[in-house]
This record gives sequence, structure tokens and C-alpha cells, in this order.
Amino acid sequence: MTFSSIWTAIRNTLKALRNGEFLLRIRADKYYMHIMYLFLLMWLTIMLSLRVDKTLAQVGENKAAIEELRIRHSEKEAELVKLESASETEARLKKMGSALAMPSVPATIMKKK
Amino acid sequence: MTKRRSEIQDTIENRDRIHVVMFFLSILFLALGVFIMVKIVQIQAGYHVDSSVVDLFRPRVQKHVDKPVRGRILATDGRPMAISAPLYDIRMDCTVRRQEFKDKNNQAGEDAWRAKAGELAKKLSAEFRDRSAAEYESAILKGREKGSRYLRIKNNIDLSTLNRLRTFPLFNEGPNKGGMIVERHEERIYPYDSLARRTIGYVKESNRIGLESSFDHVLHGREGYEWRRVTDRKTWIRDLDSASVKVIDGDDIRTTLNVDFQDIADKALREQIQADDEVRAGICIIMEAKTGAIRAMVNLSRGDTPQTVLWERDNLALREVGEQGSVMKTVTLVSLVEDGYVKTLDQTLPTNNGFVPGGYNQDVHILDYQRETGRRDITVMHGFEISSNYVFTWLAENYYGKKPQEMFDHIYSYRFGEPFDFDISGMGTPVVNRPGTAGWSKTTLGTTAYGYSMAVTPLHVATFYNALANKGRMMKPYLVESIERNGKVLKRFAPSELNSSICSPATADTVTRALRAVVNEGTATRLRSAKLAVAGKTGTARVVLSPEERGGSRDPYSDSYGRKKFQGTFVGFFPADNPKYTILVTVYSYPSHRNFYGGTKPAMAVRSIVDQLYALDPAWRPELVPSAALPQMKKEK
Repeated sequence: MTFSSIWTAIRNTLKALRNGEFLLRIRADKYYMHIMYLFLLMWLTIMLSLRVDKTLAQVGENKAAIEELRIRHSEKEAELVKLESASETEARLKKMGSALAMPSVPATIMKKK
Repeated sequence: MTKRRSEIQDTIENRDRIHVVMFFLSILFLALGVFIMVKIVQIQAGYHVDSSVVDLFRPRVQKHVDKPVRGRILATDGRPMAISAPLYDIRMDCTVRRQEFKDKNNQAGEDAWRAKAGELAKKLSAEFRDRSAAEYESAILKGREKGSRYLRIKNNIDLSTLNRLRTFPLFNEGPNKGGMIVERHEERIYPYDSLARRTIGYVKESNRIGLESSFDHVLHGREGYEWRRVTDRKTWIRDLDSASVKVIDGDDIRTTLNVDFQDIADKALREQIQADDEVRAGICIIMEAKTGAIRAMVNLSRGDTPQTVLWERDNLALREVGEQGSVMKTVTLVSLVEDGYVKTLDQTLPTNNGFVPGGYNQDVHILDYQRETGRRDITVMHGFEISSNYVFTWLAENYYGKKPQEMFDHIYSYRFGEPFDFDISGMGTPVVNRPGTAGWSKTTLGTTAYGYSMAVTPLHVATFYNALANKGRMMKPYLVESIERNGKVLKRFAPSELNSSICSPATADTVTRALRAVVNEGTATRLRSAKLAVAGKTGTARVVLSPEERGGSRDPYSDSYGRKKFQGTFVGFFPADNPKYTILVTVYSYPSHRNFYGGTKPAMAVRSIVDQLYALDPAWRPELVPSAALPQMKKEK
């Protein structure tokens, strides 16, 4: 291989590229199906990757929403539980001027005969 | 020949081609080597990081640590007593967009920002009501002038408030334009405030107490992590190519505590001791007789000075080791009855003017008894009712004087000699001065018989009385009944025994009769008209003062002003004929000239608790059974 042969090869390649004959010159038509298949695979890979990204982003958003709901649930639960304690209820009734107080006798259970 | 020459010519041409290729390759590698060497020297000698390039080289994945949600502590009916939820601190970067407006000479933009700050100030003032709108506005604008990037707006707000704040002017523009900074921190919420707070406990960096500490390994859960990468749309998502560990939230623990019982006990105790600033502390234990499950454990104390409010500061029920006084006479009585030395409670002993030979103090109550009755003997039952120290010293000296170890063997079998395994760590270690120990003297046997010379915790005492309520079967007190995850029980803790039989059922019945007499005729008559029959014993003990408290006094029980510290106790069980609960209330005083008897404040607190539990507990609900069936109405055909 000489410098002139290398130069000739480069020149021919450039000419072929300019004329749009490069793939024909290297006989790539034999591999047309393979190239198309490769292209399809690449397209599928990119598309699936984007969809996975989108799904994972949605998962992240859902997790954040669930976490927010959990926090709200805990806060509300604490508020409600505090309100239903006997002494709290008694204090609120007293504040409202109610005469209602804690029972002094147990409730009677009605039994079926 | 020509063919041979042609072959030689081809060989020479091939060699030339190989030489050319090898030449270029060697030049290429040489140049590459030189370049690498130069680059190494350049990097080592004088490479400086270009900040504009740093971001490009920074890894596009980040490690994200997921912290587990701490498990809840539940009451026996599932009501939460401790929950985890985050709280938020709000700060403000007052300098946002200031430079941008300045660079672009955009005075209108700056004015608009300041106008929004004014609106924000109004909203903040209306939301928190802690500062006026003018004060908020002044703080924000001053912060902008001075370049404050971390102005405190509010600490510890909840999520609902945070979400409202996010709709306010400026704050709705995000951190880069509005300057809102949100800092989240996990907090433990106790919905019932101080109720059972010391029993529930807490976990802080250097301080861990209560159930929160003992069950931290269950409540904490396991941290997880995942690697996250940024997408083209600038959202962070999980990097599936990297390893991750799933976070496991903490499990819940369901306690034996009953919120209503705890509430009633807390309130009843406060009613008795709140107004009396000579009372240092008060405790209450309510235990289920059959199982040993603790339904309420109240530990209210004032701290070092009477001015401080009552609060759950220390778990005295578990930790306070002290001489318990006359409540320990029951221990002596059980031993005497069990050993057959006291065959009947009507057995008599001589009164001897309240003197027991051997260096014991005179019991003045016996002198009163002799004067009132004119008798020179006293029954064991009456001695127990009036809580006579003389009677129990005489009985101990008379029956165990020559073999004291026999009485101490009983004391050890009642588990007074050591701390037992309990769901909360830190149980006080009892002190028992048995024969052969340094604390043993010729009066130790007699003083032990009426509750001195031996120091135990209130929980020990409650456990002993619970065994009597249980016909001699001593149950181990416990506070946690199960470990749960999302409502599903992972592990259940069954009741267990400390001693299957500390005495025979007959002995337990005999002593219960004596305890009932204490309430009906003795030192606890305040409980006589309780809505459920109570059997129990009072105890009033002087507390040994520390050298600082004594202030030069030679008496270990009083200071230089003659003031004494007392602990008054009532311990018993109810209903007396079929016990369901054991209850102990102890009140501790500051040094005082007053006496704090077990038959006063503690008995009154017990009375209040028993009456309220009677109305509340389904066990005592009367049943209404119809005496006749309602007539069935039939439609006429």
C-alpha cells in the first residue's frame, strides 16, 4: 500500500459520498435488512427508555402524593384523637356551659330473652 | 524465471506496505505517549478547575436516602399515643432577583417584587397572628437591603399550613423567584400531650427513655436508599441500573395502656396534689389482676421546686426505690399465715404498752388502744387494721427471731430482692438487709416487718398485691402486648408468671379479709363507700433525706428545721371478692412539718378512680333482661 493508493481510496470515498453511491459501492445493499433491523432496534430502545423515564417520573410523583396523604392522615388522626379524650371532652362541655358530665353509674345492657 | 521474479517483486512490495503501516503506527503511538506525558505534567503542575465545566463532569446520578417512618405506639384499643409526622421551618431568601433587576436596570420589576412582599406580609400576619403585617413587611424589606438569605418566618408548621403558605404571593413563585425556603424535620406527635408521657418516653440524641427507647429497634424501621438520575425534562427518577435498598417503615407497638384509665388516674391524682405545693410528686399504677397488664401508669412530679408545674418528669413508679412503710406489713402477714404462725386473724398477742424488747421504739398507738379498750391484748386483725408497728415487730421477733432467714426467704420469693425483667429499662434495684449483710442489725427484722430497712419500688409493691388478688399467682407486669405492621400482629406477648404461687389460695383469702377490714374499719375508711368493694392497705413512710437536705441534722429523716419528707401510699385491689384490677397510689412530699398519710390523698385518689372505672368498665354493666316477650302484631287477612 502506497500513499497514492490511500489518497485514491479517500478520494473515491468522498466522491461516492457526494454522489450518494457510497452504500452501493461498498455493497451495503446486501445488508439492507440488517441495517433496517438495527435502526428499528435503536428506535425501540430509545422509545422504551423514554417511556420508562416517564413512568418512573410518574411513580415519583405518586410516591410524593402518597407521602403527603400519609402526613395529612397522621396530623388529622392526632387532632381527632386529642378531641375525643374524656378530659378534653369534659373541659369543652364545661366551657360551653353544658351540665353534661361523665356517667356515675355504668350503662345498662339490654339483653334479648 | 519471470514468474519467480514477479513473486520476489510482490514480496518486496508487501514488505514495503507493512513497513509504511508500522512506521505510521509507531509514530502515532509515540505522539500519543508524548501527549499523555505532557498532559500528566500539565495536570499535576498547574491545572485549575474551570467552574463552568464542573457541572458537565459531575455525575448525573445522586444517592437518595429514604428514611423510614417511625412506628406508632398504640393504646390497647388501638388509639395512637405517639405518631410520627414531619414539621416544617420556613425561611426566606430576601435577595432573590435583586441582582437581576439591578443588572437590567429594571426598577419596575423591583417595585413589583416589593409590592408582592407587602401582600405576602399581610397574608403571613393573618395566618400566624404573631406579628403585624407592617412588622413582617419591614423584616422582609430590611432583609432585602441587608442581603439576608435566611430570614426566619416561622418554625414547626404542619403540612396544611405549609400548603396554604405556598399559595401566598411570592411564595407561589418557587424558591428561585419567591425566595421561599422550606426545611423539613421529623417530629413525634403525642396526641394526649402529657398523658403517660414518661411511660411512652422519647428518643433524642443523647437521651432515650420509656417504650420509645426499649422498643426503638422495632419502631425505627430500616433505612433504604436508591440512586437517582435526572431526565431530559429535569425530573429526578430512580436509576434502574444502580443498586437500591428498599426502605422498611418501623412497626407499631400496641401497649396494654388504656387511654381512658390513664386519663381518669391522671386527673384524679392531679385533683389531690395539684393545689398542695408541699407535694413533690404522685404516682398511680393500675394493673389487670389476671394478666399483670398495666392499664395506667401515672408519674406526676414537680421537680426541684414547688413552683414548677406537675408533669411526667421521671418514672418514679419504676425507679424510685424507697422504704414503703406499712404497706409492707401485708408481706409479713402473708409469710406468717403461710408458715402457720398466724392460724387465725383473731389470734391475740400481749400489748406490753407498745414495747418490744431489743431496742425498738414504743408504739404510741398501742397506748391509745389500751386506754380506749382497757385490754392488754390485741388481735392480729386489729393490729393490721390500725397498722400497728408494735404488733408486726412482736410477730416477726416472736416467730422469726431465731430464724430470720425464713422470713427473708419469703421476701425473696415475693420478688422483692431484685429488679425483674420489664418492658421499660431502668427499674430500681431493691435493697434488702438480710442476715449477714452490712445493713443487718438487731432491729432489722422488726423494722423490716413494718416496712423499713428494706427499699423497693412501687412497681414491686403493686406486683405483690396483684399476686394476692390473683390467689397467690404472681404475674409479671407488662406494658406491650403486641408488635404490629399495618394492623397485622407480627408478635404477641402473652402474660407470664414471676412466681406461680407465692402463697396458698387460703392464705390469700385470709389476707384479703384483713385488707378488706383495713378499708371498712381501719386506716382507709375513705374508701368504705366506694362504688366497688376495695381491699387494700395504707402506708406512710418517712423518707431518708440526702446530706444536703438534712442541713446538719443528725436525724436521717429530718432536716435542721425538723421537717420530714413523707411518702403516703394506698395499694389494693377491687372488687374485693373477685378482683379485676390492682391499684397503687403514692404521694411524695417535700420536706414538711405536715404528715402525708396513705389514708388521705392516696386513698381519696383511689376512691375517685374506682368510682369512675365502675361507671366506665363494661365488666360492671348491669343487664336488663325482659320479663316477657312483646306481643307479635299480625296483619288481619
